[in-house]
Amino acid sequence: MYPYILYFSVLFYAFALVWGLGFAPADYVQGNSFRIIYLHVPASFLSQSLYIVMAIAAGIFLIWKVKLAAYMIKSIAPVGALVTFIALISGSIWGIPTWGTWWQWDARITSTLILFIMYLGLISLHSSFTNFEKADKFISVLVLIGFVNIPIIKKSVDWWSTLHQPASITLTNKPSIDPTMLYPLIFSMIGFSGIIVSLIILSSKVHIFKRESHKSWVKRNV
Amino acid sequence: MKLIFVEFFKLKMKLRAWLGPILIFLLIIISFPLTVELSSEALNDVFYSILWIASLLTIMVSVESIFLEDYEDGYLEYFYVANNSLFSLIFTKILIYWILIGIPISCLGTFFSINMSDDISSLNIALPSLLISTYIFINLFALGNSLSLNKGSALGALITIPLLFPILILLGKIVLNANFGFEISNLLLLMLGVLLLIIVFIPFIISFIIKTHLE
Amino acid sequence: MFNFAFDNLNSFFYMDGHGIYVWSVFFIVIISTSLMFIFYKNELRKIRKKIIDE
Repeated sequence: MYPYILYFSVLFYAFALVWGLGFAPADYVQGNSFRIIYLHVPASFLSQSLYIVMAIAAGIFLIWKVKLAAYMIKSIAPVGALVTFIALISGSIWGIPTWGTWWQWDARITSTLILFIMYLGLISLHSSFTNFEKADKFISVLVLIGFVNIPIIKKSVDWWSTLHQPASITLTNKPSIDPTMLYPLIFSMIGFSGIIVSLIILSSKVHIFKRESHKSWVKRNV
Repeated sequence: MKLIFVEFFKLKMKLRAWLGPILIFLLIIISFPLTVELSSEALNDVFYSILWIASLLTIMVSVESIFLEDYEDGYLEYFYVANNSLFSLIFTKILIYWILIGIPISCLGTFFSINMSDDISSLNIALPSLLISTYIFINLFALGNSLSLNKGSALGALITIPLLFPILILLGKIVLNANFGFEISNLLLLMLGVLLLIIVFIPFIISFIIKTHLE
Repeated sequence: MFNFAFDNLNSFFYMDGHGIYVWSVFFIVIISTSLMFIFYKNELRKIRKKIIDE
């Protein structure tokens, strides 16, 4: 199943990138450096939505004691850290030609950095326990606390005056971006999400095999 | 009531755990001016942030073993078996830490802030915000250290400090508003509300975590 | 909508001086993502081998 998702989404993303990098017109203000958007926006979108998925999984694990949900958290966390890292690095490289600085203590950048640190904290919390059942519970508690905290962090850093442009695409408003740039952006979001989802499938496979290695169904499926 | 006394004396007996953090706070406060050329203008601008960071670091150091000793000598387990709930114990522990460490730190910090800005007005900025924020810090660090119980305090600090950023931003906002001469009582009330929420919920979460540790 | 935005391939790679930023970002991302894939592939192979050996 997962190789097909991977191949398909790699092709899809490559198509979106060729479109976005080669054929979309250059931005009026930012010139060609805006083309990083085809990486930056999908990554920062996913960095938050993966945390939301983790929070839902944590809730499922704590309420209904579904073990698979805990494996989900454990396997999403490193991928989420990678995606957040991508969002940070692409944003800061984008900032060099656009703002003239690679780092700014601005609301969204700072909250993304905090998100990155929280992902790393989750990983190190889980890996410091040898008793995995306990570690599952702790990590889901921490994910839920962080889930309460992330909107608060975002709101509170919004109090600072911000340099970052507001989100170009929201669900409720009309997008503030030209269609010739928007369509490749949507395509690249789908393609990038597909790649990340297949990475998550791969990592959850690893974790399920690791944790259930003594079960007979695993042995049959290897 | 008995619980309060027991915890009080436990912490006071460990002189290192009680007096140490306060001295550390003093040392941090003293060491900052040494690094900014002792020119008072530069220091005045950043003095409040030094205060917040110093109190955060002090709480971080002091709370790192809040549950460790009781966990290792089996007192937590005993208490849980005897009372079937850990809420009162955790609540009292945090309260005692605040009374013995948080309040002295707040008073010291206020004293220094009066010294720095030469009018008395900083009294009603520094004292209430330090009192409230140290209580919040102790709660959240207790949470982080209960998660990383007997796994080292660095892990606890790593997972707690990101949770503290909103409070730090709020503190910064209070100073900013006070510098511009705006009203700060609404921000203080907001922080008090956060504190009330935290006082109620954090001991529940911590007791859940500690029960998981005891299993 | 489907006009090539650059005159030739050289200017496509140069991007008015912004090419270095754009391409370095993509380079870093491709490297790190594929490293992650390779890492998990390796793990999976190790676990498979362990389970089969048992």
